[in-house]
Amino acid sequence: MSVLLRRNSSQLRLMLSSGGQVTRLSSSDGASTAEPPSAVKKPTQAKKPNTPPIVPDTDIKKSVFISQSSDVFTNLALEDWLYKNFDFSHHHVLLLWANDPCVVIGRHQNPFTEANVSRLVERGITLARRNSGGGAVYHDLGNLNCTFFAPRERYDRKYNLNIVTRALFREWAINAEINERDDIVVRNKKISGTAAKLGHPNCYHHCTILASANKLHLGESLAREPANYISRATASVPSPIRNLVDVNKSVNVAQLRSAVGYEYLRTAATALEDGGRTQMMKQRGFQLINPTEKWFPGIEELRANYSSWDWVIGKTPKFTVEKDLDVKGDDQGMKLKLSVEVEAGLMKEIGIQLPQSEQVVPVVTPLQGKPYNEENLNGIIGALKLVNASNVKQAMNGSV
Amino acid sequence: MVFITKLARVGVQAARQLRATPLPAVQGRSFHLTCLLAKERRYTVKHEWVEVEEGNKAVVGISSYAQEALGDVVFAQLPEPGTTLKQNDECGALESVKAASEVYSPVSGKVTEKNGQVEDSPALVNSSCYEKGWLFKVDLKNPKELDNLMTEEQYKSFLSSSTDH
Repeated sequence: MSVLLRRNSSQLRLMLSSGGQVTRLSSSDGASTAEPPSAVKKPTQAKKPNTPPIVPDTDIKKSVFISQSSDVFTNLALEDWLYKNFDFSHHHVLLLWANDPCVVIGRHQNPFTEANVSRLVERGITLARRNSGGGAVYHDLGNLNCTFFAPRERYDRKYNLNIVTRALFREWAINAEINERDDIVVRNKKISGTAAKLGHPNCYHHCTILASANKLHLGESLAREPANYISRATASVPSPIRNLVDVNKSVNVAQLRSAVGYEYLRTAATALEDGGRTQMMKQRGFQLINPTEKWFPGIEELRANYSSWDWVIGKTPKFTVEKDLDVKGDDQGMKLKLSVEVEAGLMKEIGIQLPQSEQVVPVVTPLQGKPYNEENLNGIIGALKLVNASNVKQAMNGSV
Repeated sequence: MVFITKLARVGVQAARQLRATPLPAVQGRSFHLTCLLAKERRYTVKHEWVEVEEGNKAVVGISSYAQEALGDVVFAQLPEPGTTLKQNDECGALESVKAASEVYSPVSGKVTEKNGQVEDSPALVNSSCYEKGWLFKVDLKNPKELDNLMTEEQYKSFLSSSTDH
């Protein structure tokens, strides 16, 4: 892997020298240099050998990577590639990216409780599952995503969020606050949501910034389908949102990208200290990233995984859907409760239950074992509507 | 108080194991020794712990420091029984407020059981990380791996010297 890494960093170097922005590439090429010359490591303490060394801020360079892709799966793959392969010990990275319309759910979420999945398909909005925790968000090109990469021991959400709020203030004099859920709010409405993935040796924290997203699509996409879902999956906390363009008309994604990028570069590596232009000139600057297999060997495979059914739907934590049904009877109708148990995205157990009874009668259908979606659920409901109440009673008695 | 519960736990464990294997006296004594050794919890730098229950069977969880750093755990993704793990493999994740933290296996072996209770109520990892909040059990492939992990004492000094938040 380190070979790949070196290859990649040399490509980045090439790109850098052609970009002309920045300076000093020699000192902190993670793959090639081992340790900073004056690492402040105390030999007396009984540390394990793999304890990360303490690196002073002055030995840490920063880069802003700007993804040239607007495909959510490619961008998630790029983020994952950097997380898995990059050495951030002397080089912190902020990745900026924006996607075509999509809904991105958290790693342990249920897409059916978070989004209107069938509506997404109709509207051509992609559904994606990311690798970090947290809740569901809607992206389009009016939304900027920021991923802050660092070694695990330098994970600092507050630092990152402050970079964003400072940028908003410096560029447009927008007063933004960080609330107790680590959302960024402007006048009590959310403009940014946060999530993180913590591993070893790396971690990342990413957040969205709503500049001029389509609020109608956002609202419609994140409304759930009507049914009763019983699930242990992480639930989103819905919040009222605001676009920055409604706070200040001159906000746009391009300018936001450069505002956040510059703020990141002019701030010290771990301390929230503004170093102004001097600090900025010490950094590696902005780099345009083309997330292709040639630059990032293995990224295609990561992308294939992110876009697969097995990941997006198959990773859904086990859940049960319940739906009340009216069934025609001889003299009067009858209320039944249909319950469908879904494991790994597939309908495992399908059963019906009478209102006064605890007993569940299994329903035999060819849809068993098929993927759960609204269409298949309606297929079962349609078939059950043809059944009349006396059949159900008979079936119940028969199975006691 | 802590001391008393610890003693009691060792006692219970010894009794359980003795019942399972009624051995002659001489062997019994040596067994007693291994039992005490086995009782010891070992830690990794990534804040997982592993404890040998008996023979090759071990339990894995995360340390109190780790659960505190995570905050309220809201979702636990655990390895399926039957999974073969190498030491340091990613084998699951714990989600707290908006952050998914990878769980790394402290040892190599085959997963024999996952803690369904933790899947149902992930808060157990916070309230009882060494008891009810264990994550999974493994059949150790190479028990020698444990020798390279930190003892309770080493882990404590590691925490006091570490910059890891």
